[in-house]
Amino acid sequence: MSSLLATLSGGLYTDEKVFALEQQRIFESMWFCVARAGDLPKPGAFRTVQVGRESVIVSRARDGSIRAFLNVCRHRGARLCTEESGEVRRAFQCAYHAWTYDLEGKLIAAPNLTKMPDVDRVEYGLVNVHVREWIGYVWVCLADEPPSFEEDVLGAVVTRLGDLASIDNYGIENLQVGRRIVYDVKANWKLIVENFMECYHCATIHPELTEVLPEFADGYAAQYFVGHGAAFGNGVEGFTLDGSPGVDRIPGLSEDQDRRYYAITIKPQVFINLVPDHAIVHRMFPMAADRTVVECDWLFLPEVVASGKDLGPSVELFHKVNAQDFDACERCQPAMSSRAYANGGVLVPSEHHIAGFHDWVAGRLGLSR
Amino acid sequence: MIPACPLAALPRGEAYRLDIDPPVAVFHTDDGEIYAVDDTCTHQDASLSDGWLEGCEIECPLHSSRFDLRTGQVDSPPAKLAVRTHGVVVQDGMVYVVPSGAPPNLPPGVTAGRPRSDS
Repeated sequence: MSSLLATLSGGLYTDEKVFALEQQRIFESMWFCVARAGDLPKPGAFRTVQVGRESVIVSRARDGSIRAFLNVCRHRGARLCTEESGEVRRAFQCAYHAWTYDLEGKLIAAPNLTKMPDVDRVEYGLVNVHVREWIGYVWVCLADEPPSFEEDVLGAVVTRLGDLASIDNYGIENLQVGRRIVYDVKANWKLIVENFMECYHCATIHPELTEVLPEFADGYAAQYFVGHGAAFGNGVEGFTLDGSPGVDRIPGLSEDQDRRYYAITIKPQVFINLVPDHAIVHRMFPMAADRTVVECDWLFLPEVVASGKDLGPSVELFHKVNAQDFDACERCQPAMSSRAYANGGVLVPSEHHIAGFHDWVAGRLGLSR
Repeated sequence: MIPACPLAALPRGEAYRLDIDPPVAVFHTDDGEIYAVDDTCTHQDASLSDGWLEGCEIECPLHSSRFDLRTGQVDSPPAKLAVRTHGVVVQDGMVYVVPSGAPPNLPPGVTAGRPRSDS
């Protein structure tokens, strides 16, 4: 077997037509993680998010369930909510002609509506999209017939960790956001996925991370293996910028999971990191061929967040890793259109598993490789 | 006296729209009182029975004008004119509306009498 495998060609990272196809066949067709359920604390609270080509309203209904709708008034197509987040008291109302929808999306009022008794209030309600909640996050699917959540989302966790119990031990749904950082990355989403999957770069751009996880220096990421957590170095007391002790360990972890770091990619846009005292959950929102917004949560035990303990050293380590990674991705993006990269680049053996991601993308887009 | 609906069909917190001309909204408040007012908001053509009932106030679903159901008075704009109130009688488990003889305060473009085919 050759040492080097081909990457995708450069054009797949820059072409807006390719991006449009990805929006349609990947982001609008798969389960897509959009928000922390706790971001919607009560009925009427909402967030608007970009999923593929669509703006989606995610909100909590009167019965406490979470709903998601396409952010489009059914009357003349005005954008219903223009804020990134907010709270309505009782209904979503279009600012154009005041068509008014309840928190379940049903049309409840409009000027002269009573004179149009033939207008079906459900049929002309907001367009609902599928919603699932898992590990305290809200996932939506814009497809009419969503793929199996169990196979696509939970299956990705099993592929990486070996079983679901390994993630359930962390009780992520019960953790609390201690810190959230949003990164606006001038790079194609695939560069960010590829970066997250390999560790060939770790010793070069992540000196702090490699101090904490010395095995990363050999270039093999935790994601190269199944059920493998990268061990903390001798003398490292916690997953912190300087290896100092972190905060309270999450009860319920197995002995094997102590002093280890696990990483999971859930295609197409979620990365999860697990360490003994916190979880880090990234959601990517691909906005254009050359721009991706990444929202990242650091989650801790609620009593740790409530205690006001300094989360800085814990947050700083992966925040630094993110900044280092996204700098690297932004360094690649402009070169994707170079003739030097027209046929793409290469993957070394510790990156060969990325070829599986490339095959998957090509398959979704109907490209031959 | 016009029969509206059985009392059992109008739980507390709910409204019933009586389709007469002009239509009338009957409300059963959380405190157990029953009130009837013209269903059409005096500001713009919208159905108050689709609005939000709080205490003895109804809030229009379109522009949030609020009316006192006891008097019809405007508690909160943009409506300026009071909504007409009607009498209510509950007899043998049936809710009846006793229509007011006063002229209604209907919004611009809305007149009593069935909608004209050319409108």
